[in-house]
Amino acid sequence: MDRDQPRSPARRHLLAGAAGLAAAAALPSGGQAQAQAQAQPPAPAEAPLLIPFEGVHQAGIATPQPYAGLVAAFDLLVESRGELRELFALLTDRARFLTQGGRPPELDPRFPPADSGILGPEIKPERLTVTVSVGASFFDERFGLGRLCPPELVAMPDFPNDALEAERCHGDLLLQLCAETPEETLHALRDIIKHTPDTLSLRWKQEGFASTHGQRRSKPIGAGRNLLGFKDGTANPDIADAAEMARIVWCDGPGWMAGGSYQVVRLIRNYVERWDRTPLGEQQAIFGRQRDSGAPLGRSDEFDDPAYADDPGGARIPLDAHIRLANPDGRRGLASPLIRRAFNYSNGATLSGQLDMGLLFICYQNSLRDGFVAVQQRLNGEPLEEYIKPFGGGYFFALPGVQGPDAILGDTLLREAGISALPTQKEG
Amino acid sequence: MSDFRFLSRALPAALLIAGALLAGPLAAKVAPGDLVAPIADYKIWVTQETQALRDKTQGFVDAIKAGDLARAKALYAPARVHYERIEPIAELFSDLDKSIDVRADDFEKKEADPAFSGFHRLEYGLFAKNSTEGLGPIADRLIADIRELEGRIKTLTVPPEKVVGGAAALIEEVAKTKISGEEDRYSRTDLWDFHANVEGARKIHELLRPLTTREAPKLVKRIDANFAKVDKLLESYAAPGGGFVSYEKVTQKHRNAMRGPVNALAEDLSKLRGTLGLD
Repeated sequence: MDRDQPRSPARRHLLAGAAGLAAAAALPSGGQAQAQAQAQPPAPAEAPLLIPFEGVHQAGIATPQPYAGLVAAFDLLVESRGELRELFALLTDRARFLTQGGRPPELDPRFPPADSGILGPEIKPERLTVTVSVGASFFDERFGLGRLCPPELVAMPDFPNDALEAERCHGDLLLQLCAETPEETLHALRDIIKHTPDTLSLRWKQEGFASTHGQRRSKPIGAGRNLLGFKDGTANPDIADAAEMARIVWCDGPGWMAGGSYQVVRLIRNYVERWDRTPLGEQQAIFGRQRDSGAPLGRSDEFDDPAYADDPGGARIPLDAHIRLANPDGRRGLASPLIRRAFNYSNGATLSGQLDMGLLFICYQNSLRDGFVAVQQRLNGEPLEEYIKPFGGGYFFALPGVQGPDAILGDTLLREAGISALPTQKEG
Repeated sequence: MSDFRFLSRALPAALLIAGALLAGPLAAKVAPGDLVAPIADYKIWVTQETQALRDKTQGFVDAIKAGDLARAKALYAPARVHYERIEPIAELFSDLDKSIDVRADDFEKKEADPAFSGFHRLEYGLFAKNSTEGLGPIADRLIADIRELEGRIKTLTVPPEKVVGGAAALIEEVAKTKISGEEDRYSRTDLWDFHANVEGARKIHELLRPLTTREAPKLVKRIDANFAKVDKLLESYAAPGGGFVSYEKVTQKHRNAMRGPVNALAEDLSKLRGTLGLD
């Protein structure tokens, strides 16, 4: 791998395009937090097209959710700590180029082209983010990083309703790619795979799409819907609230982990045929919301407090309703210290001739125990389980952000591990 | 013969930018005549391999027709390897390639399809059904196809871009179906084919070495290093009497480990045509 090549030509092209220019001009310097504050939902139509790559945190976490999402898990093929560092440097370069845009080099046509071309000759990102995280297996004996494993990071366990498929679970490294169009996320994936033939081996991948209902309209109408037809994410904390994000999402240590976040990915199939044959009243009791308005049962608006104090016996909202178990307090963000960034997925047909569709669930938190695990433990045994089946995913840790043009992904980790800050010169 | 164009002068700068994807700077040029000798040598090698394919397949076919199941099973993989080595040339004849080397996946009715023929149809009978029964006509057709192939190759003007591009094509075969164990699913002799594809690619790489070393020495070094990695992995599965152990014995860890050097070879070998200025 060449480390002495010029950095990607992206920066020269950073301001290419009027939209990019306007967006960039509107951004105060100093990072993602402010950029995100300006781009807070529910008005993504006005958010800038370029999401800054550098920042205390990686983009793609407390960032407004665009339409297309893709996660791809990889096994590492690198064998030494030096190669590991080179891989992170390469991923940093690719992510910077892909998210900030530019023109891939034009080569002699007798060579394979440098770029897949699926976005045309010029890469003009539309809210593309590349978010890199690592799994528990990253910290096994191979690189001697065991002592630096985030204290709560383990391989995702089997919850009671899960039917995990080994080939759709876990991984040393996970890429979360999000953008306004699916071809942008696929372009980014193919670019990264082409650059890492001998360092990353694809393990599993899942594409998803955000509900457009309510997300991409000029007049926002609340949270999007899952493929069961219900509003999903109403209780999500406000990602533009930096103090709230610091309380819920960002780790402040120990050591290298500061600025990172625990990530949970769950592939959850929905049995939609059966769901569509279930009485509406029962569906609403299972979720605890009215399907059409999204309002808690017995209330009138999506964002109304479910007021559980008035309903201790569950006469209005059953005690085992999904929203009540997930968030027993009822108020936005109070009982579930995590942010959700879920996408819907649709994968074709099963051997039984049923639709394989459901949820590509993604969430971030600074404690797995207090965040996802606490929520999932409350949800275990919920009536909704009859209609859903988690089959894949994993626990990961999203690395801290890249701060400055010479920084690379994972450099706080590598430094703490004593892995040379100087790139090893390698031929080629 | 194609006309050989010289590499563009603009190339080195572009190469630097493309970085990890590409070879080192290209200063010299490959003259049209430079490829004559390696292509001629390749044709000789392919001819020898085709003769070996015919002879070994004849023995394989004879064993099937004699009803000697054990002998037929033992001769399956050693005959096939000669086909797998010359695939870039054999594939130029798509009608024969289909009837010689098609897999059941290519038919909607899979193994039950009456058009399923060739090596894998015989493999299915011998290893999955454990019998030579009814295989006689299929065996006859296979040897007839291979004699036809031999005749066609004899009169073939070998297209240089197919030879140079063939190295990458062989490794793409490995990446696509050999690592996953889809190739020889009844006999589990996948590693024989895996190795034969690698040998076929290496032969091309070796014949072109004087030219590629001159044009892109770092690329050649990387290719050599990845061939060596593949060899090392394959060696650990060599069978005592020659050939390789069943693919079932290859650990998932090693299957994954093979992806690295194989994918890197596929990327690097895909640059040979450009490096030598071939369209």
